Amino acid sequence: MRQLRPVFGIAMIKFIKNILLCTFSCLTLLSCVEDQDFNQYDEIGVTPNLEASILYVEAPESLVNETNGANIFSRNFNFDAFSSDVFAKRVLDGTITYIVENTTSKELQVTIELLDADDNVLDTEIIPVDPTPYSLQRDVAYGSSGRSIDIIKNTSSIRVTANNLGDTSSTSNEPEPKIILKSSGQFRVEIK
Amino acid sequence: MRAPKLLFIVLFWVGFVAYGQNKQILYDFVEIPQSAMVNPGVDTDFQWYAGVPLLSGLSLQAGLSGVSVNDIFANDGLNINDKIRERAIYGMNPRDELSGTFQIELLSLGFRGKNPDNFYTAGMYIEGDAIGYWFQDYAILAFEGNADKLNQAFDLGQLKTRGELMNVFHLGLNKKVDNDLTIGVRGKLYSSIFDFNSTKNKGTFVTKEGVNNIYSSTVEADMQLRTSGLNGLKDAVDEGTVGSTVAKRALLGGNLGVGLDFGFTYHLNDQTVITASLLDFGLVYHSKDIKNYTLNGKATIEGIGIILPDAAADPNSDFWQDLVDDVEDFVPFEDNEDAYIAFRPTKLYGSLRYNFGERVDNRADCACGVNASSNRARAKYANSVGGQLYIINRPRGPQMALTGFYQRRFGNFMALKTTYTIDKFSYSNIGLGLSVQAGPVNIYAMADNLLSYGNLANSHYASFQLGLNIISWGKK
Repeated sequence: MRQLRPVFGIAMIKFIKNILLCTFSCLTLLSCVEDQDFNQYDEIGVTPNLEASILYVEAPESLVNETNGANIFSRNFNFDAFSSDVFAKRVLDGTITYIVENTTSKELQVTIELLDADDNVLDTEIIPVDPTPYSLQRDVAYGSSGRSIDIIKNTSSIRVTANNLGDTSSTSNEPEPKIILKSSGQFRVEIK
Repeated sequence: MRAPKLLFIVLFWVGFVAYGQNKQILYDFVEIPQSAMVNPGVDTDFQWYAGVPLLSGLSLQAGLSGVSVNDIFANDGLNINDKIRERAIYGMNPRDELSGTFQIELLSLGFRGKNPDNFYTAGMYIEGDAIGYWFQDYAILAFEGNADKLNQAFDLGQLKTRGELMNVFHLGLNKKVDNDLTIGVRGKLYSSIFDFNSTKNKGTFVTKEGVNNIYSSTVEADMQLRTSGLNGLKDAVDEGTVGSTVAKRALLGGNLGVGLDFGFTYHLNDQTVITASLLDFGLVYHSKDIKNYTLNGKATIEGIGIILPDAAADPNSDFWQDLVDDVEDFVPFEDNEDAYIAFRPTKLYGSLRYNFGERVDNRADCACGVNASSNRARAKYANSVGGQLYIINRPRGPQMALTGFYQRRFGNFMALKTTYTIDKFSYSNIGLGLSVQAGPVNIYAMADNLLSYGNLANSHYASFQLGLNIISWGKK
């Protein structure tokens, strides 16, 4: 009787295995799968277009009049968003939009320079600004149809310089006269 | 061709544990002992049964509402990115889901007490359950971004997901109150292996025309992800101790919870039966190996803002870092180790069954059968037809399924049950269950959504159950 027990156990295991095998085999054989192409996975492109403001600089006409010399303002602004790994390794192309609004009585010149971590100038955009009231929009493309996208990838700071090409005494009749620089970026990044 | 098919077999039958917990074929399939697991008050006539360890109850269910694998990966010559955009991103909605469950019975047994009206059940099973709703706005942000979507608020609350893996110990009593009524109750002790949930999120992300600068970006979030057991498992993977860690937690060494199942069967008359059950009315208290993450607050940014001359007062100021710090202050991403309670996904079943046709002798050791004066253990009918209702509590509210069924018994040797179910996954779900009694050995197998077998890749739902038991009716 004792000798029969292991035999019975082995038979049970075989029986169970056969049941499982038959069941899965039947389901598998009875089922169909239409032609699928999983290689398409490699063609999936996740490339969102992201948009946000970058830099806003505002200077009143009083500051322009109080400044000796042509240079009203010049300063580097740290801007690590572009050179951060999460962005720099994924950005494909994009556009930076600058809008300059001038309600002062002065003819001005605004210069925007993109600098790398060592303060080397990577790109320069010079925007001449006519006296009041004046508004100008300039779109600068980077990537396939524009300047090198490496400029964006390596940009670590932005230098904004404003020069007064007019006098230092006149005052605009506009309410709260000022020179304003607005900017935004729209970039396509590759997530996959 | 063979590789993709093999992939699907693996996905559907082994690893892709998704979708639903409805066991509509097993429910009230009284020839199968495991029917007591979906209704503790099932009308059972066994003297005792014992499930074959690991094989007495194996169930896998998989499904996906809104889109199928075939919709995306069919070799139809269409661009896959267009298919994703049309059929998934904009073709699905936030109520569509990917969810699933599996159960593997480790131990299962039942026996009749000294009082033959009492039938006791006990056992232990592993259960995994997960659900994730389609986060449509996140997908739009990921695939298309926020550009040219001015004033479109992306709903951060669409992130709703939960999942768990646990071992369940259970002990139940099935009591025949009188000739018409059988009631049952089962107590459960949950031993959690891991848990995660993020179900009560609120918030938006929106880009608008800026007040000063060109655009303003606003994020308002009240979000939370709670986890237990995941960090410990990660450490166990690193240390190569996953097996012992899981085993320890499964055997009451992890977070614990309690729950109850209730059910009844009531014979309205000799041929008409109503049943109902409430399963997993319980909770798990998570206090060990907790890691919760929160994102709570509101911030609006318009890039770096410089207003002269005040902004030039400090030549060393780092406006970028100030901006980053402000955002982190206003919308802090934090973590904590606070204990939490997770409620189980409670299920409700109900059915109305009409029996007809020839009578099938009852196997129970009793003075019952076709000509019995007492119907303490009723003779069965060869045919049964009826309807079932199933409701499960989910993060986005209850989900319901309706089932119509027909059951045919071939003596005491074999029983077949076929079902037609409508739910959010399918309006053409036909299932088939088979129970074969070969002496004391009971084998059952059930498969769902059979019409989808014509093209598994186009299926939104698939499930499978299998079991092996030894049963005794106590007859000499």
